Amino acid sequence: MKHLSPGQQRVIADKAFGVRRLCLELITAAGWGHIGGSFSEVELLACLYSGILRIDPKKPDDPRRDRFILSKAHASPALYATLALSGFIPVERLFTYCRLDGLDGHTQRGQCPGIEYSGGSLGTGLSYAAGIALGLRLADNFASRVYCLIGDGECNEGQIWEAAMSAAQYRLDNLITIVDYNKVMAKGKMSDLMAIDPLRDKFAAFGWTVIEIDGHDLAEICLAFHRAKYLEMNGRPIAVIAHTVKGRGLPEAEFNYQWHTHAPSPVQAKAFLADLNRTYGRNEKFSRQLVAPQDGGLEAVVTADLK
Amino acid sequence: MKLAYAKKPLREIFGETLVELGALHPQLLVLDADLNTSSRTVLFKQKYPARFIQTGIAEANLFGLAAGLAAQGYVTFPSTFAAFAARKALDQVYVNIAYPKLDVKIAGSYCGMTATECGPSHNCAEDLAVMRSLPHVKVCDPGDNRELRAMMHTIMATPGPIYFRVSKVNAPELFADGHEFAFGRGHLLREGSDVALIGTGFMTAVALGAAELLDREGISAAVAHMPSIKPIDEELIGKLARQTGALVTIENHRIYGGLGGAVAEVTARDYPVHVDAMGLGDTVFEAAPLQDLLRHYELTPRALAARARALTQRKRRASAA
Repeated sequence: MKHLSPGQQRVIADKAFGVRRLCLELITAAGWGHIGGSFSEVELLACLYSGILRIDPKKPDDPRRDRFILSKAHASPALYATLALSGFIPVERLFTYCRLDGLDGHTQRGQCPGIEYSGGSLGTGLSYAAGIALGLRLADNFASRVYCLIGDGECNEGQIWEAAMSAAQYRLDNLITIVDYNKVMAKGKMSDLMAIDPLRDKFAAFGWTVIEIDGHDLAEICLAFHRAKYLEMNGRPIAVIAHTVKGRGLPEAEFNYQWHTHAPSPVQAKAFLADLNRTYGRNEKFSRQLVAPQDGGLEAVVTADLK
Repeated sequence: MKLAYAKKPLREIFGETLVELGALHPQLLVLDADLNTSSRTVLFKQKYPARFIQTGIAEANLFGLAAGLAAQGYVTFPSTFAAFAARKALDQVYVNIAYPKLDVKIAGSYCGMTATECGPSHNCAEDLAVMRSLPHVKVCDPGDNRELRAMMHTIMATPGPIYFRVSKVNAPELFADGHEFAFGRGHLLREGSDVALIGTGFMTAVALGAAELLDREGISAAVAHMPSIKPIDEELIGKLARQTGALVTIENHRIYGGLGGAVAEVTARDYPVHVDAMGLGDTVFEAAPLQDLLRHYELTPRALAARARALTQRKRRASAA
C-alpha cells in the first residue's frame, strides 16, 4: 500500500468520518470525554487500522501481531470507535464508555480486544512500547512492530525522553512513535505553556529517524508508515511527527483548548454533526437518540437513602 | 437533620482562598502542571500572573521546582491531581520536600473517586496513605467549604510540608461561619452511645445520614469528623472508643492506611475496641459518574448503617461471651 488508490482512500476516509461521528455519539452519551485530542488523531488511527497494522480482529492476541499503544490514552474515544469499525468490538459496546463495567475514560489493558496498554498517566506509554519492542527482539520476533501514538503535550514529561534515549540505545528499529502534534494542551497553547520545538531536532538528537507529515492527509500518512515499516530498518527507532489540528472537523473546537475535555449537549452534538457533514461533504445521521446523563453526586445518594 | 449542600464545589473555594492568601502573603507562589482550570488555580493565575508558574505536563519537575523555590524562602503551592502528586511524583515529594521539611503545600485535587469518569489512572485512593507515611508531612481532608478555607489559612500559618485534598464535589454544609481548623483536632457532630461513625472529607455527610438511619431503628450512633488525618485527634478517638466500644470509619479512599488505618493504629495501641473501616477495598475506582461510584462501592448511608449495625452485634456477642 505504498500509494493509495482512490478506492483505498475512500475506504479510509469513510472509516475516519465514522470514527468522528461515533466519538460525538459516545462522548455526548457519557457526558464526558476528550473531543479535541480524539479528532486530531482520527486519520492516523484510520490509516493504521486499514492495512498498516498487521492485526486480526479474530486473533487479537496473536503473538505475531503488531502492537499499538495509545500513550495519550485520554483520546480513547477515537481508538474505541476505530476498533469498533475494524471489527474488534461491537459498536454497541462503545455506549458503555464511562459506565460501570464499561470502557474506561482512559484505556485499560485487557478491557476489550485491541487494547494493549493501561494509560491515563501521561508520559508512560513510550517506555511501555519500548519494553514491548525490546521484548519482541529478545524473543526473536522480527515480524512484529510496535506503534506508539503520543501526544505533543506529554512530550513535556521527562519519561518520554528517558524512553527515547533507551530506544536508541537498544537499537529498536521495530518501534515507531507517532506524535500527534496538535499544538494545544489541556489549558492552552503549547507555545504559551511549555513549548517543545524544535521537535524534529530533539528526536534526531536522541538518535531517531524522523519523518514529518500532515497528520490529516491520508496519502501522506500511509506513505510515511510504509516507509517506516519497510525502508528504515537500520537500528534507529522512527518518529513520525504528524502535524494535526486539535478538534479537526469542528470549527468551534479546532485549536480550542476549551474542547480538550468537554462533552457537547445532545443539541450541540447535532449541530456538530452538521458541521462534520459540511466539512467532509456527507449527510450522515446519529445511530441513536442521544441523552445527556445526570449525576446527582453526593447529595442525591445521601438524600435518596434518607427518604 | 437535613443537610444543605454548597452551591460552589470545593475546588472553587480552593481557588478563591489561594487568591485571598496571595493578597496577604507576597511570598506565596502557585505552580500548575496544565490543569489550572480544573483545579481552579486559574483564579490565582488571573489575579497574580507573576506569581503563577506553569510547568507543563511534568509532575516530577513541578515538585522539584516547588522545592527549589521553597528553599529560597517562598511558600509554594504546587497543584495537580492527587493521583500525580501521590503516585507519580512520590520520590520528589519525599526526597526534595518531606525530608528537608520545606514549606511546600501540596493540594491534591480530584482526590479519591472524584476524578469520576477519568477512571483508575486519575482516581486516587492512595494519597492519604502515601502522604501519611512520609516523614514530617501533615495530611488533611476538608469536610466542607468553610473548613477548606479555614484549613488553607492554617496551612499557610504552619511551617513545613502539608498535603491537603480538594475535589469538584459540592460538599454538605457541616459548619457555620467562624469554623476553625487545627491540626490534630476532630469534631464531634453528634452524640451517641452504641457505635461511633468517623468520617473525613465530604464522606462525613454519609456518616451523618447513616446515624439518622440507625436512630430510626433505635441504635444510638455518634458521628465524628476528622479533617486532620495526620496528626489525628487521639483524644477524641479515645473518648468515642470508651463511650461506644465500636467504631466505623468511612473515607473517600482505600481502607488501607488512610483514616481507617490511622484510627485503628490508635485503638490497637490504647483502646482495643471493635473497629471497621469503609472505603475502597483491594480494587480500583472505575470510570463512572460520582453517584454510581458511591453506590457501586457501597459508600452510602444505608451501607454504612448496615456495617455499623453488624459491628454493634459483634460487640454484644463478644461481651456476652
